[in-house]
Parts: sequence; structure tokens; C-alpha cells
Amino acid sequence: MRGMITALKLVLKEIVYTLMLILGVTALLFLFFNLMPGDFSGKGGGLPAFLDLLRGLFTFQFGISVVSGIDINAILFPAFRNTLVLTLGAIFISLVIAVPIGIFSAYRSFKGYSWPLTLFSYIVSSIPVFYFGYLVLFFVSRQTGFLPIFYPESSVGKYRILSYVLPILVLGVGNDAVSEIVRLISSELGRVMSTDYVIASRARGEYQLASSINEGIAIPLVSIIFSKIPFLIGGAVIIEFVFNWPGMGRLAFQSTLDRDLPALIAIAFLSVLMVRAGMILKSILLYIFNPGASRE
Amino acid sequence: MKRFYFEEEGIHTQEFHVPLYRRASAQDVFFIGFGLFVLSYLIVFYLISVTNIFIKNPMEINISAMFQSPSFDHLFGTDFLGRDIFSRIAKGTEAFFLPGLLSITISTACGVLFGVLSGMYPRFASKIISYVLDIVDSIPRLIFILIIIVLFRPSIYLIMTFVGVTSIPKITAYVKAKVQVLKKQGFIESSRALGLAPTAIIFKHIVWFSLKSVLVIHATLGLGEAILIETSLSYLGIGVQEPIPSWGNMVAMGADYFFQGRVWLSSIPAITITVTIMGLYLLGDGLNAIYNEKVTR
Repeated sequence: MRGMITALKLVLKEIVYTLMLILGVTALLFLFFNLMPGDFSGKGGGLPAFLDLLRGLFTFQFGISVVSGIDINAILFPAFRNTLVLTLGAIFISLVIAVPIGIFSAYRSFKGYSWPLTLFSYIVSSIPVFYFGYLVLFFVSRQTGFLPIFYPESSVGKYRILSYVLPILVLGVGNDAVSEIVRLISSELGRVMSTDYVIASRARGEYQLASSINEGIAIPLVSIIFSKIPFLIGGAVIIEFVFNWPGMGRLAFQSTLDRDLPALIAIAFLSVLMVRAGMILKSILLYIFNPGASRE
Repeated sequence: MKRFYFEEEGIHTQEFHVPLYRRASAQDVFFIGFGLFVLSYLIVFYLISVTNIFIKNPMEINISAMFQSPSFDHLFGTDFLGRDIFSRIAKGTEAFFLPGLLSITISTACGVLFGVLSGMYPRFASKIISYVLDIVDSIPRLIFILIIIVLFRPSIYLIMTFVGVTSIPKITAYVKAKVQVLKKQGFIESSRALGLAPTAIIFKHIVWFSLKSVLVIHATLGLGEAILIETSLSYLGIGVQEPIPSWGNMVAMGADYFFQGRVWLSSIPAITITVTIMGLYLLGDGLNAIYNEKVTR
């Protein structure tokens, strides 16, 4: 019961702090908005204009694009959904690749069998994601014809899942989270597996991995995965450009070329929401895995 | 992972002076050696491209010699205008070398300043600084840079300044945590009791003696990040613009011929980027291991 109350307090505190941060971000974006040369509606006007912008952002009415004249909502939300799918899928792929390698190299250090895998994780995470996209397209689509290189408009509904495969795979493998997860898990798990309580539990006949999974894997993973979300959104900009994926990143790039600041501000707001939601989730999960550390 | 016998006895590592070369395992030596190799070729490329000796003119167009595969005359072949790819790669270091150093300098200097302030004065300064830095940290870096490009102009120095600004929060967090631990230790207390000025305590005993390793690791990883951002933006066409070579726009230009089977046009700059960034990451992680710091990228 007391644990529940502490957890609720923690979550409430996080949410209030997040709201304050979002207010700060909006103020920063408003400052940018006013710094931009040129004149369009919503610019200047001091505090009332800021309140207008705030109301627009918090009710998700982002207004009209200054370039195309279309309502931003109509194009932004489908794009946001696509980017969400891409980002979550990429996190999943990164975990599937990196966690087994990390566990394996915690058991056998560099001189054993794990060094090719460790090296692989480094190569994969430092290869530029735009080139990796071309490589995958070249080998999977051009040479073997396993997946089509592009999906015609009429067949989108039919092959929706298939068209998700390559971008998610490339972003999941090619972001630099893989080598970092491997390094963190192998060092933390190695440290935890030689602590006294794990050795004692091993002496009692329990599995060594099972008793060190909380401190050795769960806590490092939670603390790293959610802080990677901003980088994944950045990677999504490039991946969406390479694969022509109708997401938020491509929209951001397009509005940069068009100098369409209102659209860009809406995109920045949505990605800030995404990042902060990840942070709230992170603190909740850390509380679940390690209640002692969150208490002040 | 235990490296020394006295760690098993529960004795704090810091109490002994272990020479760095003894702390390193074979893996760390490999990592750091590879990283130093990468750093040295970056510096060599930069120097030969600044002094313009040993390389061909990277801008010289030769239509009769386009799409040549790698040979002794053209080490990495020639591109779609017959320009020598090796000299363009050497010249491409200019696109990120000084801007990258600028970005590292900004992030390290401001990170140390804010970190020390919020570590030493946790009541007032810490709250404001962490609020402001959390705002910067919440906006994804690439989106932030895109906003900057819309507002001002796509100049690489400006972009790298903001890459530096967006790396401040991470360094600040590490410095702050370190200062909070160091502040309570005996030698700081005794130096305060001896009447040493606060600036001397902070800059000599905390920053110089205890934070060097963190800053070196961050600088290494920061250079890798700067290169990655520069190449990505140049690839997208909003960083360094075409006649001036950059590794990113060389990949983008070569990508048009990738599916025709002329693979080396974009592969060679891409492999160079991969090896360089991997070297910097390995250097950072190797230094991390021997200094026992837990710095994440």
C-alpha cells in the first residue's frame, strides 16, 4: 500500500515536471517562431500570440501550413502514426539483436567466442544508416528479388506488413544503440554475476542468469532504451528519406526545404511529447525494477 | 568484470595507483589502438588537404576518366565527373574537422561549467540549470538542427555549434554526479580547511585532477557524433553543398550509380565513415574501460 502511494507520487511529480518542460519547450519554439524573417499570421504579438500558440499545441490544432495551405493536422497525424510504428519496431529489433549478444559476451569475455559478435555490433552501429539502407535494398530487392523495391499505390493495403519490414529492420540494426546495449549488458551482467548474492543463489542450485536478470539486464536496459528515443527519431528522418516512408521525419525534412516553420514546430512538439512519454515510462519501470533507488 | 585482485577483496580501486597500461586488457589495447589509428589518419588527411600536397586537385573535372575503378593512379577510383575520390576523401575531412572541434569545445566547456555549478550549489543553481538543459534535451537533435536551418542558413559551423549545445546536458549530468561524489571526500574538505580559494579547489582539484578522463572520453564520442551529424546532413543535402566534398554528399552522389553496379562510388566514402566512427566509438569505450568511468554515448 505504501509502495503504491510512493509510486503514485512519483508519477504525479514526473507528469507535473513534464508539463512544465513542455511549457518551456513551447516558449523556446515561440522564440524561434519570432526570430524567423518574414511575416505570417501568428507571428509577433507578444503574450496573447504565445497563449494562442499554446492553446493550439495543447489541443492539437496545429493550424495551416504556410506553404501548401493544407491543414497540418490532416497530414501530420498519419505521418506521426507511421513514425511511431517505425520507432517502436526499431527498438524491438535492436533489443532482439543486442540482448543475446550482450548476455553471451558477459559469459565469455573477449578472448572467448564472443569477439566476432562484439565487433559485429560495433560495425553495425557505426555504419551510416543511409548507406546501410542502400546496401539492404541492393541485396534484398535488386539481387535476390526477395522484397519489391517499392510498393505501388494500389497494392498498399495488401502488402502493408511487408512494406514495414525493411525500414524497421534497417533502423533497428543501424542505430548506434546496438553496440551500446551490448557493452552495457556485458559489463553490468559480468559485474552482477560475480557479486555475493548471485554466487550464493548459484550455490543453492538456482540459475545464475535468472537471479542476476533484474540488476544485470533489466535496469541497464530500461535506463538506456528510453534515452535513445530522440536519436531514433533523428535516425527516422534519414531512414524515411531513403525508403520514402510517409512519416514525420520525411515531413520534417520537406518542411525544412519549404521553410515551413509552423509545420516544423508541430513536428517538434509531437516528438517532444514522444520523448517525454518515454521518460515517464522509464521512471515508472525503474521504480518497478528497483524501488529503493527512486526513494529520496 | 573483475580486473584486479584487490577488487575481489572489496578494496576501492582508487586507493592504489595502478598504471594505465596495467589496467588494460587485450580488448582495451585493441580498441584504443584502433581508435588512435583512426585519429592519426584523420589528422594526416586534414593536414595534407590543408597544405594541398600529395593529393590531386579534388575539384579537377576530367570527363575522359570518369567511373574508373580503383587503380594505382587513382587510389580509390574516380567519380561521375572524373574527380579523384581519394583526394576528395582527404579534402572531405575539412568539412567536419574544425567544426567538430568547435562542437566539442562548446559542449565540454559549457558542460563543465554547468556541471560544476549545479554540483557545488545544489540548492539554487542546480534546479534552474537542470530545467533549462532538460528543455534542450527533450527536442530530438536532428529536429532541432532542422529548425535552426530553417531559421538561419545551412552553414556547417552554425550547425556544429548547435550540435555542441545539444550535447551539453549529457556532459553536465556526468560532471554533476562526479562533483557530488568528490565534494564529500576528504581531500576537498581538507583543502577547504587549509584556506584554498574555491576556484582553485574547483579547477585544480576537481576539474583537472578528477575530471580529465571523463572529458577526454566525451570529446572522443562527441567527435564521432559530430561526424555522424555532418555526414547525415550532407547526405540529405542540407549540410555541405556539392562542389565542396564531404563524405556525406559523396555517398549521396554515388548512390545514383549504386544500382548500376558502380558500387565503389558511394561505398568508399561510406566505409571511410564507418571505420572512422567505429574507431572513435572503440576509443571511447576502451578509455571507459581503463578509467572505470561509465560514460554512455
